[in-house]
Amino acid sequence: MEDRKQITFNVLCFNPEVDEKAYFKSYDVVLEKGITVLRALNYIKDHVDQTLTHRFFCQAGICGSCAIRINGVSKLACTTQVWDELETCKTKDQIIVEPLNNFKVIRDLVVDIDPMIAKLKKYKSWVVPMVKDEDLGKKECDVKPEEFEPINAATDCILCASCYSECTITEADRHYISPLVILRAYRMNMDTRDTAGEERTRLLQEDHGIWDCTHCYRCVEACVKNIPIMEAIQGVRHETFERGMTNTAGARHAKIFLDDVKGGGRLKEATLPLRTLGPIGMIGMIPFALKMGAKGRVPPIFPHKVSTHREVKTLVEQVEKESKKKD
Amino acid sequence: MKFAYYISCINEGMTKELDIALNLLKKDLGIELARMEEATCCGGSNLEFVHPDVAVVNNARNIALAEKMGLDMVTTCNTCLLGLLEAKHKLDHDEALKAKVNRYLKSHKLEYKGTSKVTHLLWVLNEDYGLDKLKSKVKKPLTGLKIAPFYGCHILRPSHLFGQRDNPYAPRSLDLVIEALGGERIEYESKTKCCGFHTMLVAPEESLKVAGKALVDAVDNDADYIVTPCPLCHTALDSNQADAMKVMGSSASVPVIHLSQLIGLALGYSPQQLGMNKHVVTSRSA
Repeated sequence: MEDRKQITFNVLCFNPEVDEKAYFKSYDVVLEKGITVLRALNYIKDHVDQTLTHRFFCQAGICGSCAIRINGVSKLACTTQVWDELETCKTKDQIIVEPLNNFKVIRDLVVDIDPMIAKLKKYKSWVVPMVKDEDLGKKECDVKPEEFEPINAATDCILCASCYSECTITEADRHYISPLVILRAYRMNMDTRDTAGEERTRLLQEDHGIWDCTHCYRCVEACVKNIPIMEAIQGVRHETFERGMTNTAGARHAKIFLDDVKGGGRLKEATLPLRTLGPIGMIGMIPFALKMGAKGRVPPIFPHKVSTHREVKTLVEQVEKESKKKD
Repeated sequence: MKFAYYISCINEGMTKELDIALNLLKKDLGIELARMEEATCCGGSNLEFVHPDVAVVNNARNIALAEKMGLDMVTTCNTCLLGLLEAKHKLDHDEALKAKVNRYLKSHKLEYKGTSKVTHLLWVLNEDYGLDKLKSKVKKPLTGLKIAPFYGCHILRPSHLFGQRDNPYAPRSLDLVIEALGGERIEYESKTKCCGFHTMLVAPEESLKVAGKALVDAVDNDADYIVTPCPLCHTALDSNQADAMKVMGSSASVPVIHLSQLIGLALGYSPQQLGMNKHVVTSRSA
């Protein structure tokens, strides 16, 4: 690919004061290899269209303010090379730029992140220390390297909201906690100085919380800091078991997989809804069961047990026993 | 060509037809599948956080069974693939964990060595079998059929587990199979999206919206069929389709079929033989 060429930026623009809906504006600009998408947008704003509105600050991948969707994927404009994007764009030499998903647009590429901030507040996304406010600063609250290690990756989060924008469930339910807020909660729960773990976890397992995640891994794939966000989601879910918070459909559902591996080896699908939802919750499942029954797609009530199921049970119990000892 | 066939629990129950179709066509293709009757449930993307140690030992045992058979292991379910590969990835990158897991397995006369590959039917067709060979087996090309590929999450993401295979944002493997079988593949936004299966019971409203959005996208792009390499995606998109469409304000319908059934159609089997009559949605309507 040559080092200097004309590129078209198709930018989704929207000014709520005058526009009924968002529309694409095309900008043809001649750019040189090595330029980032943020620099290209700045060039357009400075030389082509002063009304183009986008948000940025550090220009170095630190502050997280310039996240937008580039060719359909949420990422930072300041760390994305135009030439790299040209490799993936569907139409030759055209780059599509859109605001983040799952937020209300304030103008063009700038979105209203207030709902995300409200969620960070709701789930107490900060360390709640043992030390009283008036005593803060008088004594050091040290964190040893080995204590920091489990939260090391999570502390890389810059709240850019790329994961928020890509999240399947946030798209379906705007009240859903969202990946980055779970990541923050996990990080605070694991912080040795924090004392709000119990209260935070109780909140996390309620409606719109951790159990609504559909394990699609879109957040993990989009994270600009390569943080294994799913490990944090799974970490908080694991913590609900550790804290004995098991009276939710999510926890009951998850526990079934352990019970069934231990009790026969294979998943007992037929009773899975009943065991997840309980007898009352099951009523809502009757139409589904009838529909599947009419097609002869009823799972066996007693699926085949693996012939070595006794050995499997012993194996699982051995692992459980050893893990407990370790704790 | 022979594989240890890891049978997903759902393929013995709600999506038996996936297995029925696969059993029919394996002879035509010349692929031998040794059924792993002793394998346990993969943990369904749940066991990992209920009991992380049990999760890794359980899937190490499953893979060790394939190793004992001296075969690579193939599954037809994305979530099983994810669970098995997550365990394999951990074991192959952590000698201490491998040694610990093997201490448990030893008393059951098993050992995880890391010698068997864990793969998916879709990858086997692309990598081991070859699309040209698949093309040569076609008796009834799917000419004129517009087919929307729906990959499902756990064969694309997290991409670091899946090597240099599909680009998680622009995958090709299923598209290429559709083309090899003579069908017309549809390009649509939802092809890499989630089906909502894993929240069907716990967050049903959200799950319906997720499925509904993908279904409407496929219908808007004129799909005759949606094809998926995952029985969980099939369940989310087929069994709840009317409700999912309703949530989206649509009354359209589109049949969703398994990868094994798509191949079966091109090999000349009837929809009935392939168990397509067992699906909740059997016809397309706008």
